[in-house]
Amino acid sequence: MASDENVLLQDLTPIRIVAFLCNWCSYAGADLAGVSRLSYPANVVTIRVMCSGTVSPYHVLKAFQSGADGVLITGCHIGDCHYLKGNYMTYKRFQVIQGLLQFVGIEPERFRLEWISASEGEKFAETVRDFTEEVGKLGESPLADEREAAKSREALMRRF
Amino acid sequence: MSVKEEAKNLLGKGMDGVLFYQMKDGSAIPHLFTSKDIDEMPDVREIPDSERYPLSDILSKLLMRFSSAKFGIVARGCDERAIIELEKHQQIDTSRVSLIGFACSPELAKICSCSKPYTESLADEMNEAQEISRGIESVERMSTPARLGFWLSNFSVCVKCMGCRNICPLCFCKECSLQDEDLVESGVLPPSIPTFHLLRAIDMAGRCVMCGLCEEACPAGIPLRTLYGKVSEIVREELGYVPGTRGVKSPLEELGSSVGSDDDLKS
Repeated sequence: MASDENVLLQDLTPIRIVAFLCNWCSYAGADLAGVSRLSYPANVVTIRVMCSGTVSPYHVLKAFQSGADGVLITGCHIGDCHYLKGNYMTYKRFQVIQGLLQFVGIEPERFRLEWISASEGEKFAETVRDFTEEVGKLGESPLADEREAAKSREALMRRF
Repeated sequence: MSVKEEAKNLLGKGMDGVLFYQMKDGSAIPHLFTSKDIDEMPDVREIPDSERYPLSDILSKLLMRFSSAKFGIVARGCDERAIIELEKHQQIDTSRVSLIGFACSPELAKICSCSKPYTESLADEMNEAQEISRGIESVERMSTPARLGFWLSNFSVCVKCMGCRNICPLCFCKECSLQDEDLVESGVLPPSIPTFHLLRAIDMAGRCVMCGLCEEACPAGIPLRTLYGKVSEIVREELGYVPGTRGVKSPLEELGSSVGSDDDLKS
């Protein structure tokens, strides 16, 4: 019973993760994880996209700006892309975004790319567990303070 | 042969105009010289170092406006790189362009921290370009929270004048991510930081030709060259692409199987 409570407490930690799942592999993989009744933290908000290659860097930046503590992109394995080469684009963009995040002082561990196929329900659950733990260790996104600062700036501007 | 003579040559060969700067009241402004006023064209050394404009962008607009005209351009190294990159994006038809190259003064090259302050045609005469710091190392030496603090304090003085975008020779999109309501809230200053500046940095990946006009235009003094320089470094190291060089397009623009040299791709 005690262990169940721990799981619940863990689920209630304020870490928020946005996960982009590709429709053809990773979403089916996540579905399999659900059907197989595998447990993983509920901190993940999943967004289903047609291909991981359609995830624009804008989406990743917007997620971080809107309060995500971590962003996960999952797609088909290289060579298995439903659109043949969509995930090559994902990988190229991933490298650039991660390098940029690191350079401006956002921990690169907050942004992860994983290849998860439709049969890898266990890998999906494991990835989410591992990523949540890693982001949990880093704590809330450092941009959270910035959002507070922006709010107070805005309030100040409205007074004049 | 002086630039003016080369320009005259081009006009003699059927070019409709040559784009360069005109000196007016002590300032340089971009001007299209035709056979009427070609004699007034100043020498490259008369143009003050601090007065640069995105000539490649003006050339691109001229070519679109006059669809059959041919133009010459007296270009710096960065102008040439921008023209090459714009051609890859179908913004310039180089078959209608003749380029007269010149080298920037060593002082300007130093201010710009430019590693190639001359055009390709002059590459043989010039010394081998040295690796130049753009302040990237000093930022990388900071701890992660200090880096975020450094950038947020720099970004927070942004007045959203859009000068960096407007002056940029590679910013030709009709719809701009910086004006997207969903990405950047309008009517708030500073604009959504750091997203506003990171959006532009991401868009500069595989495009930025390191002309440094953005940093010069910035009234808030944000070290944009450092930011875009880092993005260019990532693209060069991870994807093996240098904007402004002839040959293939940026791998970020093309759906291809080249993803650089990374081995952990299949893991």
